[in-house]
Amino acid sequence: MKSNKTMANYHPAAEQLTAWSAGSLPLSDALCITAHMENCKICRNSVQRLNQVGGDLLESQAPAPASAALREQMFKRLHEKQAEPAVVQPESTHTESANAPEWLPKCLQQFGIENVDALPWQKQSGSISTYQLARDGNKRVELLRIKPGGSLSKHTHIGEETTLILTGSFSDEQGVYRAGDFMQLDERHQHSTQATSDCECICLTVQEGPVQFTGPFMRLLNPYLKWRFNAAA
Amino acid sequence: MAELDAAAKERNRKLTSLMQRVADNRDERALGELFDHFVPLLRAYSLSQQPGAMLVADELAQEVMIRVWEKAHTYKSEKAAVSTWVFTLARNYRIDQIRKNARFMTNIDPESIWEDMSAPEDENPFELAQRSRAEDKVREGLEQLPHEQRQVLARVYLQGKSHSEAAEELGLPLGTVKSRVRLALQKMELLVERQQL
Repeated sequence: MKSNKTMANYHPAAEQLTAWSAGSLPLSDALCITAHMENCKICRNSVQRLNQVGGDLLESQAPAPASAALREQMFKRLHEKQAEPAVVQPESTHTESANAPEWLPKCLQQFGIENVDALPWQKQSGSISTYQLARDGNKRVELLRIKPGGSLSKHTHIGEETTLILTGSFSDEQGVYRAGDFMQLDERHQHSTQATSDCECICLTVQEGPVQFTGPFMRLLNPYLKWRFNAAA
Repeated sequence: MAELDAAAKERNRKLTSLMQRVADNRDERALGELFDHFVPLLRAYSLSQQPGAMLVADELAQEVMIRVWEKAHTYKSEKAAVSTWVFTLARNYRIDQIRKNARFMTNIDPESIWEDMSAPEDENPFELAQRSRAEDKVREGLEQLPHEQRQVLARVYLQGKSHSEAAEELGLPLGTVKSRVRLALQKMELLVERQQL
């Protein structure tokens, strides 16, 4: 049971869940949504109904009848498979590590994370570091780690940025965000963030570009951040 | 309307009992009947994404039916209609194929993303009772959707298009596509009030 976890206050948009259910989302975004849903009953419920939309649409199509040969062929393949010596298949192809941190969603265990401190974090500023989990076309999937009380001065984002808080909490001008909260921000949003002072905050992020500072002095760093984002590609 | 509804319910009952025979008795005749029902629909599903690709459609239909046989024991009739379950198998198969053909350019493994993640707490009697009511709402709502909302849903679910691809093909702004999806969800009473950023 996961009921000891706090309920999320911020969720993926309804049309994002729809795309998840339809299977038409990029894997990076789908990964973030699954990581959120593992601990969000509300969204799991919505997705179950959205899957039904898929089932009903499947039923409502004009049928495209198959040749009689296909039926025979399927049974033939099935019997061949049954005749093969049974291969004991593990439930999942990736090994689930027993040492993974308790807050790490199951769908992220494919990246083999055990000891968070031992990861080769890339320092982005005094209080922020990142660790890249995967790439998806031009998007990057990263863990973002903010030291207790650490902050990121006023900034915006290039393209869309998705953030899911895995552990800890942070706040910006609008409010406080806690573990399980899911946020999607783009260049229209401008904010400065600060981790809660008593514990560090680790998030899962998907980004199309580096953060862009909007403050008078910090914005001088932007060309450098862009260069570094692309160099890491 | 009521007749359509009764027909859909009757179909669901029949499919559920066929699934039970496959799961409990490993009944190949029941699988054959499921084949006859689903394969033309699965081929249509595949052809709507790749028109004219007959071999691809046959392959998807056949593979999904083999998974129906192999995974029959994991199907829970109290959680989802057979058609819903078969849709998710077809969707997952499609995602796997797209990834194998390297369209995604990524090292993320989709298997753990679309895996069943339901928790024990999702299965209390109260929720299961609500499910069948919600199921009716979705079906009735879908039948009554205006053409343009249904068209967008079909692009997304059957053709597997992203919202922006759908927008481009229909010659509509992205915002319009998104709002049509939302309106459709509202009609099906699927739009849960949610806070988002």
